[in-house]
Amino acid sequence: MKSVLEWQIATVQAICQETHRVKTFTLALPDWSPHRAGQHYDIRLTAPDGYQAQRSYSIASEPERRGELDLTVERIENGEVSTYLHDVLIPGDQIEVRGPIGGYFVWEASMAGPLLLVAGGSGIVPLMVMIRHRRAARSTVPTRLLYSSRTAEDIIYAEEMDQLVATQPGLGIYHTLTRAQPHGWTGYARRIDVDMLREVATPLGSALRSYVCGPTSLVESVADQLTALGLPADRIRTERFGPTGGTL
Amino acid sequence: MDSQSTDQNADLMLDGNAVAGLLQEIFATEVTIAPVQCASCGQEGEVGTLLAFTQGPGVVLRCPACERIILRVVQTPQHIYLDARGAAFLCIPKPQ
Repeated sequence: MKSVLEWQIATVQAICQETHRVKTFTLALPDWSPHRAGQHYDIRLTAPDGYQAQRSYSIASEPERRGELDLTVERIENGEVSTYLHDVLIPGDQIEVRGPIGGYFVWEASMAGPLLLVAGGSGIVPLMVMIRHRRAARSTVPTRLLYSSRTAEDIIYAEEMDQLVATQPGLGIYHTLTRAQPHGWTGYARRIDVDMLREVATPLGSALRSYVCGPTSLVESVADQLTALGLPADRIRTERFGPTGGTL
Repeated sequence: MDSQSTDQNADLMLDGNAVAGLLQEIFATEVTIAPVQCASCGQEGEVGTLLAFTQGPGVVLRCPACERIILRVVQTPQHIYLDARGAAFLCIPKPQ
């Protein structure tokens, strides 16, 4: 089998606009290897003069979908790689990728739970793949996602989330909108705080596993709040999404 | 003493997960779950938890507890330089 560190040429099969700043790219790989929910792929772009830029993006598709993968990428203003992916790439184009990479921020159905997932913005991607994997593996591990977005329009995978909640036993998804809320909004309307975490997490009991992914400020404050709620450090897994959309 | 200001910008901070590919190139195995101990404060944790600063010419990984530098990685066209003087140890799994 090919090493995960060898670069291969992926072909863009489809591009889906998720929100005004976020697209999902479906890539066909000549040498697909099984991944774990939460792992990354590296993308490398090479300019005509040889200059290279490389970024790491979370895999958005569940491991059960074989032969291809989805990468969901937020367009970062002035981002070297994400602007190219968003503004230039079209289906049929080819890009260099390698992966799957990483082993720290992963969850597999066999690891059980209960699961508390906390996301901010595009930090939802590795957590959504855990939920997709949970569905594909027919897991019924009690799972709650608390997802912070600026506005309703910024919620990534919104329709799929509604479907999942309606069809997947033991799954709850709770939104907070920090900047603006639509008329009649019944979800949270503030930044994640310790009271909100307590309300969402308490029904899961104390033996839960938590995964937190988002901007550094959110990750740090949520990790501190989970600690304050008594969760041991080894039950809190964090992944920071920098403004560059994940570098290197 | 390491400069605490020149390469540190919390807004641009990532974590060890973001450089998993680069570290795997160096160590030939997945190391984000490998235990590492900070030589400065003694904090022990997994490489994936380290603070990563990737905007400079190289990559700097800092201790999440004391923020001192644990690992530095710089790539040239031919070589990879690894400065690990900030680590008391890094425990890498043997290939199976």
